[in-house]
Amino acid sequence: MDLLAFFNWLDASFLARMSKAYGGVFAVVQMFHLLALVLLGGAVVAGALRMLGVLLRDVPRALVLAGTWRVFDVALVLIVISGIFMSSAVAMKLYYNEMFWVKMAGLLVGMVFMYGIERPLLRRPQSGAWPTRLVACASLATWFTVAAAGRWIGFS
Amino acid sequence: MLNEWLLALARFLAAQDWSISLHESIYMYGWIESVHVLTLTVFLGMLFLIDLRMLGWAMPSVSAEALAARLDRPMLLGFLVMVISGLLLYYAIPVRTTQSVWFRMKVVLMLAAGVNAWLFRRRMRASSHDWTGSSVAPLRFRVGAGLSLLLWSGVVFTGRAIAYDWFDCHKPLSTVMLWAAGCVDELATR
Repeated sequence: MDLLAFFNWLDASFLARMSKAYGGVFAVVQMFHLLALVLLGGAVVAGALRMLGVLLRDVPRALVLAGTWRVFDVALVLIVISGIFMSSAVAMKLYYNEMFWVKMAGLLVGMVFMYGIERPLLRRPQSGAWPTRLVACASLATWFTVAAAGRWIGFS
Repeated sequence: MLNEWLLALARFLAAQDWSISLHESIYMYGWIESVHVLTLTVFLGMLFLIDLRMLGWAMPSVSAEALAARLDRPMLLGFLVMVISGLLLYYAIPVRTTQSVWFRMKVVLMLAAGVNAWLFRRRMRASSHDWTGSSVAPLRFRVGAGLSLLLWSGVVFTGRAIAYDWFDCHKPLSTVMLWAAGCVDELATR
């Protein structure tokens, strides 16, 4: 897959023309990106702390996770949509930015982990304490990497 | 008068060695800003979960009271680190931040959000708690939660907008905007 061609296309797209021409629109979309990040962070941290047995121990794990997973899904959709718009404004700059690729790799790993490992594993009623704790730590580490790499795109 | 005093304080802070070092550091400022954003996700993430639960939009099968009580401690921990890192960010760039209309709006919104949170907690303590198992909270809690979401979203937006120079003092601004941003020197030349 030729990613450079995709970034060249994105850089010349309608989205790019809009995001470059209207700084105010870009700022508002960026705000929604941040708010979605906040929601995703809250869902990940609350879910992980419940899996670790630190928070909400008196509430069944399945109830807490079902709630946080729903919030996570909505936040992830918002992050991806707003992220594509924001990327269009600086598409070529991002293509050559290492931190951007760290974030994208983290995002991909995080999504595969969430939908391919965490949810199927924790939906089983007999999932043990240690696998659950490991999943919580891995989830926190992955999404921390995504958020931190996202912030460092601006510095690199 | 207040604008002059704030600018004098900002200039005093900006002249300090630590402030200059922080501003000119290659990595430290970035780390502090990263900590600020990451703890924002912990603090606001928890708060938004509580607010959305009160509105009946998230985790309706979890008791609202249990959620608010259990998320309180990590939320406050996140808030504490967020405030400390925020103060350090201000300390690194005090003059421009003091003269940012976005920063001023952010402070006002934070104060309003603080008052709203205090009222919300007072109402929670005084509540009979017979509603906490239901999926939607009483109107007074939903209003508080909605206000909280709006005010903190405003804080996030104005906080992010500080980085933009649209209304910086060196830009051609109206007298009202110069006053609102605290551009004391530019106002004196009008």
